Amino acid sequence: MSLLDLVEVTKRFGALTAVSNVTLKVEEGAIFGIIGPNGAGKSTLFNLLTAIYRFDEGRISVDGTSIAGLTTQRIARLGVARTFQNLRLFGNASALTNVMVGEHLALHSNIIDSLLDTARERRERKEAERRARELLRFVGIAGVDEHFARNLSYGTQRRLEIARALAARPRLLLLDEPAAGLNPSEKQDLLALIRAIRDTGATVLLIEHDMGLVMNLCERIAVLDYGEKIAEGTPSEIREHPRVIEAYLGAPA
Amino acid sequence: MIYAYAFVAIAACVAIERFHNRKAKIAIALALAAFLAVGPRFYGNEAIFSVLADAAVYVMLALGLNIVVGFAGLLDLGYAAFFAIGAYTYGMLASPQFGLHLPFWALLFLAAALAALFGALLGAPTLRLHGDYLAIVTLGFGEIVPQIFQNLTKYTGGPNGIAALDVPTFFGHSFGASVMPYYYIALVGIVLALWISRNLRESRLGRAWMAIREDELAAKHAGIDVLRSKLAAFAIGASFSGIGGVLFAAKLALVSPDLFGFQVSVLIVSMLVLGGMGNIVGVVVGSLILTIVNSALLPQLNSLVDASFHTTVDLSNIHFLIYGAILVGIMLFRPEGLLPNRERRAELRNSGEVEAEA
Amino acid sequence: MHEFLAQLANGVELGAIYALIALGYTLVYGILELINFAHGDVYTFGSFTALVVLVALRAAHFLHGAGLILGIVAALAVAILACALLNAGIERLAYRRLRKAPRLAPLITAIGVSFMLENLIELWQGAAPVPFPNVIPNPELEIGALQVGVQQIVVVALAIATMVALHYFVKRSRLGKAMRAVAQDRDAASLVGIDVDRTIAITFLIAGALAGVAGFVGGVSFGSAWFLNGFGAGLRAFTAAVLGGIGNIAGAMLGGFLIGLLESFSTWFIGGQWSNVAVFSVLILVLVFRPSGLLGESLPEKV
Ligand SMILES: Nc1ncnc2c1ncn2[C@@H]1O[C@H](COP(=O)(O)OP(=O)(O)O)[C@@H](O)[C@H]1O
Ligand SMILES: [Mg+2]
Repeated sequence: MSLLDLVEVTKRFGALTAVSNVTLKVEEGAIFGIIGPNGAGKSTLFNLLTAIYRFDEGRISVDGTSIAGLTTQRIARLGVARTFQNLRLFGNASALTNVMVGEHLALHSNIIDSLLDTARERRERKEAERRARELLRFVGIAGVDEHFARNLSYGTQRRLEIARALAARPRLLLLDEPAAGLNPSEKQDLLALIRAIRDTGATVLLIEHDMGLVMNLCERIAVLDYGEKIAEGTPSEIREHPRVIEAYLGAPA
Repeated sequence: MIYAYAFVAIAACVAIERFHNRKAKIAIALALAAFLAVGPRFYGNEAIFSVLADAAVYVMLALGLNIVVGFAGLLDLGYAAFFAIGAYTYGMLASPQFGLHLPFWALLFLAAALAALFGALLGAPTLRLHGDYLAIVTLGFGEIVPQIFQNLTKYTGGPNGIAALDVPTFFGHSFGASVMPYYYIALVGIVLALWISRNLRESRLGRAWMAIREDELAAKHAGIDVLRSKLAAFAIGASFSGIGGVLFAAKLALVSPDLFGFQVSVLIVSMLVLGGMGNIVGVVVGSLILTIVNSALLPQLNSLVDASFHTTVDLSNIHFLIYGAILVGIMLFRPEGLLPNRERRAELRNSGEVEAEA
Repeated sequence: MHEFLAQLANGVELGAIYALIALGYTLVYGILELINFAHGDVYTFGSFTALVVLVALRAAHFLHGAGLILGIVAALAVAILACALLNAGIERLAYRRLRKAPRLAPLITAIGVSFMLENLIELWQGAAPVPFPNVIPNPELEIGALQVGVQQIVVVALAIATMVALHYFVKRSRLGKAMRAVAQDRDAASLVGIDVDRTIAITFLIAGALAGVAGFVGGVSFGSAWFLNGFGAGLRAFTAAVLGGIGNIAGAMLGGFLIGLLESFSTWFIGGQWSNVAVFSVLILVLVFRPSGLLGESLPEKV
């Protein structure tokens, strides 16, 4: 069974069909890429996966569980975490706290623990803090722990958001244009980071514009255009696919 | 005299806020607690105890509202309703009204529980609302509650309220006519409220509140149950107010519906805004300043002006002007309040909420 | 039947006043997404300025014959002007700096302004209600089974005339179009050359002017003015605006009349002491179940 399974999913905004009849399977442990021109419906697809929007038709299941009707928070419990195309960090909290919020589901202290600062609360806080520091190191931004998220550089913020998503120990990680705005050397680091994330056992679904990065990184790629999936395959198949070349106006992929 | 206590307390709070050394902070806090516990026994009288007790009750209320507004970021403009619920709990169950004379101590807990329950009941349908809509709904609730107390004359004594409330006892010793015991109870209450506030801020729940305040959508993606977390904030905040209500009613030996209007809610919001929303120590300072201004400074200024100019200007009538000016002035010129915490300062200074797209 | 018609007339009269105030909330909310909490107190200020003018004219024995009409027009004009300037002044001094602040900051500021205004009006005119000069003769007219006072007719007619004028202003005039453009998208409006600051200032002027009319007719209708009138009336009017669909001009009028009727009939059936409970229950129910109001469109959530 695939970890993520979309069957004929459609989403309309009024007259506009942002996602049209898309069928997609992502296997456990994969790095799967989604490409397509601006406005193709890629982010909308992510928003359907995390119940920001409800899909109008079709089925989506995560590890066999249908997500129809589930809330964003319930889907997070299924092990889906994401980053946003336009960053959504908790800007006025420290980087460390941002990551600790990401660990929310991994902690078990309840309201009584929180009120009374019980032994469990303290133990979990200590552990959460330790793990958060570890994650900051893992994504390559050790040392920014106490800085406000909003004061960090753009590249660092992108990594911090990945760290926050990883803190939930996701089975499926959705990355929406993680390389946007990064310089070439940062992109190289990101490539290594995403591989390292996959090696920890997570499945990565990635939206990206940088063709080089996508072709290098992904085992399979799906191409969206005007909401429709026009192609799917390995990087070399995609490179040669006539409709893809057409959609990108013959631009060298 | 009263100013000396207020000044020492505020100075100590500022010091606690400015020092970075944890041990120093604790030492100052303990010294302050000891001073406030012992000082008034030697240099004080009933009047001073009375003002101090009121101040202490307001500090508790402000700490409770701080959990809702400061931590969870939900502007509650009807907070006085929970204060009313606490006060009426005591008024109805410890008075000749029904001939019930339940013990004060039990009612402290009952009132906390009832206020929390009503907090949750109000929250459940309304917490989906955002920002100013939520504020207005809570305001509406705050207007409804006292009016219900006023109209259910059979149970609540109507517009006149309930008088001759029981005088509490402590292991068989009656509090008598002295207001001193209320001061000490409220002092203990503050210590507990401070402890709980600190615990919450550092806790899993506290981080969830921060996340909701900063970016509700991102909070949901982290798996936070937004509605439940907000409900928790409402219920916990309300429970502080319920306890404050019991103390207030018992000390006054009276409850009446006009004591819990919108002005009270705004007064407490003003304390938060003045001191610095979200910052525990700042909130304490804000509430101390406003209570002292209200119950000591204005009346004294009033008699001074009257005596020296032979007028009868009623300076105690400018409360609203003062709260209003504080709200406007602080929001315009120092939105983070007098003693902000790090996060709120940045948040309120770096204006321009980003309407980010997912 | 008789009583029913009387309550109906009362409700319409109250509703006309609420509708005028509600328009002020809706105009400002439409353009700034701000609940101008001080708006109710601007209305109170309108009542008192009209009252002061009328009292002065009466003391000068001016209010006879043609002087009466002139006096009424003068009182109305002064109330309109004073409220328009006050409201625009509030915007300039208190709200403009906070346009980009977090949403709650301007609301808290508005509550602060409201408290200051209430207190200042109290210091100016005292804490007790002040009788409003009874300048409009009030013989009862019988129209079938319906008994209405001339005052009621004047109040409702004046309110409706004002609303019609507003409607055409917003729909037809250049300024009205600019207001709608700024309400839709401030940045886009400024790109096409609309002076956003000026348009917002004018919106406050108009909202204030409407509060001035409401203040005058409210004074006539209730026969008194009180420094705290604006709090209750303001909240009812805001409820009306929300009920009709905030930001929607026709909605504010509809909501105003509905809330007026609700108040008058709830007073009749369950007693005036429950009217706050009735009105605020409506507010809570509408906000919870249909936050877009009766005539508002539900906006898709921005993500
Ligand atoms: N909330 C919305 N309401 C209406 N249209 C939307 C909404 N969100 C996205 N769209 C439209 O859907 C289409 C796909 O957008 P998106 O998924 O963001 O594209 P991209 O592939 O660049 O991420 C675009 O035309 C966009 O304008
Ligand atoms: Mg996108």
